[in-house]
Amino acid sequence: MIPEPFEYSAPASLQETFQLIAGGESKVLAGGMSLIPLMKLRLASPEHVVDLGRVPDLNHLTESGGMLHIGATATHHDIEMSPLVRGRCPLLAEAASHIGDTQVRNRGTIGGSIAHADPAADYPASLLALEAQIRLASAKSDRTVAATEFFLDPFTTALEPGELIVEVLLPAEAGKEGYRYEKLQHPASGFAIVGIAARIVKEGGKIAMARIGVTGMGPHAFRALAAEKLLESGATVEQAVATIGEGEEANADLYASADYRRHLARVHAKRAITVALSRAS
Amino acid sequence: MKISGAHVIPLPQERAYALLRDPVVLGRSMPGCDALEQIGDGEYHMKMKMVMASISGLFDGKVRIAEPNPYTSFRLIVDGTGKIGFMRGDGLLTLSPVDGGTSVQYDGTVEVGGTIAAVGQRLLDTTSKMIIKRFFDKLSAEAANMGGVVGSGG
Repeated sequence: MIPEPFEYSAPASLQETFQLIAGGESKVLAGGMSLIPLMKLRLASPEHVVDLGRVPDLNHLTESGGMLHIGATATHHDIEMSPLVRGRCPLLAEAASHIGDTQVRNRGTIGGSIAHADPAADYPASLLALEAQIRLASAKSDRTVAATEFFLDPFTTALEPGELIVEVLLPAEAGKEGYRYEKLQHPASGFAIVGIAARIVKEGGKIAMARIGVTGMGPHAFRALAAEKLLESGATVEQAVATIGEGEEANADLYASADYRRHLARVHAKRAITVALSRAS
Repeated sequence: MKISGAHVIPLPQERAYALLRDPVVLGRSMPGCDALEQIGDGEYHMKMKMVMASISGLFDGKVRIAEPNPYTSFRLIVDGTGKIGFMRGDGLLTLSPVDGGTSVQYDGTVEVGGTIAAVGQRLLDTTSKMIIKRFFDKLSAEAANMGGVVGSGG
């Protein structure tokens, strides 16, 4: 189908972008992997689309001060293939490799994906497990929000009107920790029915640190804090994963009921933790 | 799709019942609703603008309050049609006193059709729950604005 008519701007700088989106009425276009299909179905009819395609240096992948800086318009493919991300934050590269299909990974961006905040998107699980920070800026402000405080509800984030995701900050890692993104993929859409990101650090044969992010199961991605604590205090993987989804609301659709999703989250968490443990040195 | 749950409104039962049946308050609390305009006994015309992420659509419809059973229960029926689809919600609201106010238990069904349901099936359950939660959050805020704390004597 053909979208409703809309005004189109392609700013050439971040400052110009901030001016254009200041009113909060316009819609930002990054890779367009969610927005364009919605516009074609006329489910979304923004009056003004601001395309980030010509904003320079917004897709940077750099490291400084022990942190990786991932620019908002870095594509899933950029992240998956970057030697820097693969070496210093391999969990994110692994998660990126699971997103959608080749076309989506070539066009879709990390900023676009997390701004859209689909409750079944792949990145949020890893960003939570990695304790990522998300930098949001506007014409008047520049602030950093923790991933745990960014994903609030389905399609609802901490972004205020007029704000843009500029970059994602991740702690660079020395290669000692074990990691895994484990996902059950919807056969048609490629979205996660459940997706689990796990990070494990071992010391003296014991688990010194565990981080587990869960996507697809609930209204928004969350950290399985109880399971993390149990792993860190010496419980078995089975005991730890049994707590995942307890007291959390679970989504249901034609494909998977709420109880089935909870079950899947535990099964996939066990798999993810087992692989992460074997990778940790 | 079946839907049920419970929320607590910080008001004594009689006042919570009155609040839930007040078209002005209902209009203000329904996400995206401009106003409710009375068109019959317990029947109101509603215009609603749904905005969810990139998706937005205008719905035109009716809100009906039926089977009133003062202070304990009534049915709330919401019907809306728009370019992007249609929705119909039918729920029984049951009020009972609890610590800190009145518990409102809802049991009902939500039906969504048209383009929005065809492409968004996997998201209907989670978004319906979110919209209901926002409705009750706003209602609770309205109750708080009325200075309503249990024991204030109404």
